[in-house]
Amino acid sequence: MRRLLAMLLGAALLLPLALLLLLSVSRQWTWPVLWPDRWQLRLWHDLLSDTAGIASAVARSLLMAIGVGLLATALGFPTSRRLARHRRRGRLLALIHLPYALSPVVLAVGLLFVFLKWHLAGHMAGVMLAQLIFAYAYAVILLSGFWNPRTDALVDLARTLGADGRQVWWRVLLPMALPMLTVCLFQTFLISWFDYPLALLIGSGQVQTLTIRLFEYFSSGDIRLAASCALLLMAPPLLALLVNHRLLSSAAAPHLETLDD
Amino acid sequence: MNRRPRPDPWLLLLLAMTIGPVVVALGFMLVYSVGGIGLLSSGWTLRYWGEALHDGETWASLGYSFAIGLASLALALGLALGLQAALGPQLRRGPLRSLLFVPLAIPALVAALVSVELFGNAGLLARLARAAGWIDMPNDFPSLLFTASGSGIVLTHVLLVGPFLLLLLDRLARHERVDELAWVARSLGASRWQAWRRVTLPVLLRAGMPTLSVYFIVLVGAFEVPLLVGAPYPQMVSVLVQRKFSQFDLASKPQAYVIGSVYALLAMALLMALFAWCGRRGISGDAR
Repeated sequence: MRRLLAMLLGAALLLPLALLLLLSVSRQWTWPVLWPDRWQLRLWHDLLSDTAGIASAVARSLLMAIGVGLLATALGFPTSRRLARHRRRGRLLALIHLPYALSPVVLAVGLLFVFLKWHLAGHMAGVMLAQLIFAYAYAVILLSGFWNPRTDALVDLARTLGADGRQVWWRVLLPMALPMLTVCLFQTFLISWFDYPLALLIGSGQVQTLTIRLFEYFSSGDIRLAASCALLLMAPPLLALLVNHRLLSSAAAPHLETLDD
Repeated sequence: MNRRPRPDPWLLLLLAMTIGPVVVALGFMLVYSVGGIGLLSSGWTLRYWGEALHDGETWASLGYSFAIGLASLALALGLALGLQAALGPQLRRGPLRSLLFVPLAIPALVAALVSVELFGNAGLLARLARAAGWIDMPNDFPSLLFTASGSGIVLTHVLLVGPFLLLLLDRLARHERVDELAWVARSLGASRWQAWRRVTLPVLLRAGMPTLSVYFIVLVGAFEVPLLVGAPYPQMVSVLVQRKFSQFDLASKPQAYVIGSVYALLAMALLMALFAWCGRRGISGDAR
């Protein structure tokens, strides 16, 4: 019984992916057949040869997501250390959740005037800055789990053995934190890669990301092209899953990241 | 001489990048909504607040958002708890161990697209129902999407959040050594159901509370899913704010700001109250 349930759950988990794959290679899928009537690979050919301009949207999204991920992780690591040592750590950690309480749409609507004033609205840099608000907060929440008594003890040990501040960072802390930094980099990459509302509102229609293109195809009824874009959107996290599922696992509960080590 | 300690630049940056935007956005929305600024501003007024607060759509949207958020979280949590109880260690074995992560690769936009193709009137479920001989035409299939009850939004959210919660519960179960606690309860005479209800469930819910609080607020403020599979009325608050903000009629902008301000204040107060509640009870998590 347990085995059957596990098999059913496994099939259900794969269903969305299978459905999107079928849609992206179907030419005709009429009611009420369960399987596409006719097949095609034209869509994928068009996508790869950039006939529909999707390759540039992918490149733009990738560039933005890599930038946001790198910045959020680079800023989040030292910040999380200061935060972990602060006497009001708990309150600060609670407070940096506030952007999530506001929702990206409400925050973007409220901040658009600042972005317009700074000439950042409608620009890639503006969208990245808006995404960084969420990514930076996430990075600090995730990485604050790294700073624990064991880390302190190792730092103390390194100092006792004669390491200076720089050596402690480069020889002790960074190598120790590398797996967690990789997770953080990937998760903050995904915050930008998956973003739609900030690209829509702060981008003001000028920043054509992959999610913006996906929405356009979806709302115009071009489901097959939308399905292909959806698969492109899912490709980086699925590839990461193949490499190491831990890269995705922290999304469920960032503050639990250190628990499974 | 008594010197005040210098503020930490990293913490200042953190506050400027996370709390700063929240304060600026909320401040701007409040000032705009009382006529302090704006293209149509003719001096300070509470007219927009009066209009928005007397408009049934505002309260319908706010109530609807919180109800949908609660229903989505409750159903997803119920599903995750049921699967965790039924499968237990099986979740960490074989292909299921990796497959559980696949839904984490699905963003909200894609989840909405999958919902349409699964639960729509001509979707896969309707086709299966036709193949089973239960319906003849697409219209015979019960409408699950674009309904005022929000069934499509809740279904999509459950698909999206359920696997996250299942992973969360599995990690918490290992961290809190729930299996060992339940084993102790059973060795003391508790039935399997009693051990789950009196030991496993309270331990998991207590430990997961901070994360569940964040999920709840995120679901209340959801945008993509209600935009794509929600009904035109009532609309969830993020969709309503975006709609009113993007209308050509400039007079609807202050109303968008009023609704945005009310929602922001409510959501922030609720999140802080939930975190404070967790803190008072000594529940560990991101809100300690």
